[in-house]
Amino acid sequence: MLNEKRFDATFVFRLIGIVFFAYLFFGFMLVPCWNTLTSIFKEKTASGEADPFAVIRFFLAGNMKRFVWNSLRLAVVLVITVNIVGISIVLLTEYFDIKGAKILRLGYMTTMIYSGVALVTGYMFLYANDGILTPLLTNAFPGISSTWFTGYGAVVFTMTFACTSNHMLFLRNAIRGIDYNTVEAARNMGANPFKVLWKVVMPTLIPTLFSLTVMTFITGLCAMSSPTLLGYDSINPEIVRLAGSSSADESFPQARAALLSIILAIFTIVLLTVLTAYERKGHYLSVSKTKAKLQKQKITNPVANVIAHIYAYVLFIIYMTPVVMIIIFSFQSYSAIRMKKLDLSNWTLINYFGKQDYEYMTARGTYKTREGAISGVFSNEQTFGGIKTSFILAAAAAALACIIVVVACNYISKHKKSGSILEYALLFPWLLPTILICYSYRVYFNSDTIWYVGNTNLYYADNVRLLIIMAYVVTKLPFSLRMIKASFYTIDSELEDAAKNLGSSPLRTFLKVKLPIILPSVLAVFALNFNALFTEYDMSATFASTYGTSYAMVIQAMTADEGLYGYNVNASGRRCASTVFIMIVSGLILWLVYGVGARDLSERLEAKKKRREFFARLFGRKN
Amino acid sequence: MIKLNDIVVKFGDFTALHDINVHVKEGEFFTFLGPSGCGKTTTLRTITGFISPSSGTVLMKDRDITRVPIEKRNIGIVFQSYALFPTMTVYDNIAFGLKLKKLGKTEIDQKVREIARKVDLSDEQLDKAVSQLSGGQQQRVAIARALVTSPSVICLDEPLSNLDAKLRVQLRNELKKMQREFGITSIYVTHDQEEALTLSDRIAVFNKGYIEQIGTPNEIYNQSATEFVCNFIGDINRLGDDIVARLNEQGAGLDPAWHHYIRLERLHVNKKADGEHFVFDAVVENSEYYGLYIKYTVKAFGQTLKVIEKNDGRTPYVEGETVSVSFSASNIMSYEPKEEGGDA
Repeated sequence: MLNEKRFDATFVFRLIGIVFFAYLFFGFMLVPCWNTLTSIFKEKTASGEADPFAVIRFFLAGNMKRFVWNSLRLAVVLVITVNIVGISIVLLTEYFDIKGAKILRLGYMTTMIYSGVALVTGYMFLYANDGILTPLLTNAFPGISSTWFTGYGAVVFTMTFACTSNHMLFLRNAIRGIDYNTVEAARNMGANPFKVLWKVVMPTLIPTLFSLTVMTFITGLCAMSSPTLLGYDSINPEIVRLAGSSSADESFPQARAALLSIILAIFTIVLLTVLTAYERKGHYLSVSKTKAKLQKQKITNPVANVIAHIYAYVLFIIYMTPVVMIIIFSFQSYSAIRMKKLDLSNWTLINYFGKQDYEYMTARGTYKTREGAISGVFSNEQTFGGIKTSFILAAAAAALACIIVVVACNYISKHKKSGSILEYALLFPWLLPTILICYSYRVYFNSDTIWYVGNTNLYYADNVRLLIIMAYVVTKLPFSLRMIKASFYTIDSELEDAAKNLGSSPLRTFLKVKLPIILPSVLAVFALNFNALFTEYDMSATFASTYGTSYAMVIQAMTADEGLYGYNVNASGRRCASTVFIMIVSGLILWLVYGVGARDLSERLEAKKKRREFFARLFGRKN
Repeated sequence: MIKLNDIVVKFGDFTALHDINVHVKEGEFFTFLGPSGCGKTTTLRTITGFISPSSGTVLMKDRDITRVPIEKRNIGIVFQSYALFPTMTVYDNIAFGLKLKKLGKTEIDQKVREIARKVDLSDEQLDKAVSQLSGGQQQRVAIARALVTSPSVICLDEPLSNLDAKLRVQLRNELKKMQREFGITSIYVTHDQEEALTLSDRIAVFNKGYIEQIGTPNEIYNQSATEFVCNFIGDINRLGDDIVARLNEQGAGLDPAWHHYIRLERLHVNKKADGEHFVFDAVVENSEYYGLYIKYTVKAFGQTLKVIEKNDGRTPYVEGETVSVSFSASNIMSYEPKEEGGDA
């Protein structure tokens, strides 16, 4: 009887699971993207005849190739520059003995809480034509034009420093995992520190560096916010532009956008295949049974030591200047920001809270007052609306992605064959550039004839928010799966047996035994997903809907909205305050997850004990 | 108490257990011993219900439990890794099974504290995370968790295998003491023959999915039923053809086609063995001084033999010295060679 009940419940759960994941895979991954692929070949000639290769001919003949070449050029250059800076900052903080390494590390890690549009606009705030540092730079280096921070050079400069977060995460871990005994052995045999670095340390980092190189290449290829804001013709901004264009303005814009998306997808698939093949070859594994912790290496040559210190602090200044300036200017008045001059006597919170009237002179020379024209982030409907929208969409999607992946991983960890099918299905979006998925959604679901979504146009009005959430979820599935699956495999299979033996049902075992073990990893994935989605720009820009105006889009809008005659007068100040808010939220979430959430039970019990003792002492004194 | 009748377990085409028949008596400490992959854990998992046998029955107190779900069998398990829930305190780990039985809070608390006292865990330790306890304390938590629900039988799956040698010996003794105190029927799985010999009332020696012998430690050691058991338990010398021929010249009557063995401590150097005995000369190749005993490697008739001699205070023999080796005829264990292959 009991067995029959179990069988029924398991069967029903499995059936629901199969239907759900099939719906997700076919409905929101395969079919929309397939539609994009086939749309390339559905163009017709002026006479109405089918011309499947019209777009491809257009691509080969016209200037569309320029976008692809530009993206490739950006990707190749970024691989070089990002690796140089990324490897430098990791070596300077983890391998060489540099004074103030802890402070330097904090500076280099700012990109983890400050990225995307916020970072690009931050750099623009400093270096653009009217940037606060531009006069300083042009005075110091007369050869530099005040408009230097536009186009290709500006994109390379910005992305070089924006894309080193992965180096700080992965390369840092790899270098910390090096067995110091191997370094000592090489030194003992007469190798100098640089020889040791080149011959002993670097070879062990090659697998990590290879992965980072591929990831950087893909990032460069799919760059969106920097090229859009700094003006560089690359693939992604062009796709977004074409997606919003109509055939009345230019030749088959939709099919061209689709073709560019597919080209990106092909590049991504090739690169990921190369990466996977390389990873399969195996890595350099430490064979040491008693691994020694890496000790920092002193640079014995005094000249080299001074140069290394100068280099480290120059990089630190580049990383920290936008952050510091944005924090400072977020507390400055509208006039100080407009004049690009720090006014130490006048600090304000108006960029954060409250409203002020703005008095201005009209063209006729008369004065007019616009009520509440100066407003803070949390008092400005549009800005705060963007924050709310992004917060809700990002939180919902990050949570949903985690829930789906946790359920999937629980199944995958128990069923090898059918589990691997599910795993590949959830990893599928990894092969597709984000922009392809979003573009496909925008085109495919902009119809009220899609039966499996109830014949509802999901690209209409408020529905677009649901579409954005789905895009967020789908694009975050592969990353979430890789991370959470790894944590599932750390669960001792005997725990499940023990719980079963004590009478626990599968659901209870999952909730009470397995979930608490993987929860820190799940929360970490949630936090990383949330942080990325909260400030994401590419996807919401592709959807380009007023119903899904994200925080990043609001920030972008504020770069252009510096209005005359009292319109949006403190946009720059509000943008600075917004960026500070992003940094606080991202930092807080990372701290909660990695600082508080990562504590194991013994650490939590210890903290609880200390709290109790503290309150006991407190009340003891009072008494 | 527990009876396994003709148990066969198959995984696809592979037969892991062949007609296993075991009868574990009430209050007995019964050990499944054998090398890796011999089927001992599979047998244990068949008893606990994690594996359903392809054929045969599992009886507990004469009740057929072959198809009874794991949680309804009333069997406590101590796992190899202890399988303590890392996100729960020691208290919650022990109380887990009781909560699932929907007992009242007071009753749970009473039972948890009572079993904790019995396994020597303090109230302070109950509030700790399992990661804060030592290996020995963790073992006691695992035993307490397995016993708190008052199971009829406790199964222990190599619970000492992950510990260092010193702790293993210490915990082995504690385990034996606890089992005696609780008087609970225990089934123990190990590949460590020393552990099996010191802990068990009876041992079943497994090999390739078959049981080779069931007996007391003394029977298993001194009257090994099969050549496998004789080789697996303790260190032993196999007598080479030349020695067998020489012994037969002395009237031993050993079948040259069979395999003949003698344990190390049954050989004596420069001492007369009891009863009817054989003697031959040998040259000392090496001697290892262990304090309590001395281990000699001697060479006779082209064959190296190992000998363990109790340390009686005499100066140990040195390399190159000629000694006489003697042993009783009754200590030779002989086995007819088996054909290799077959269904393993």
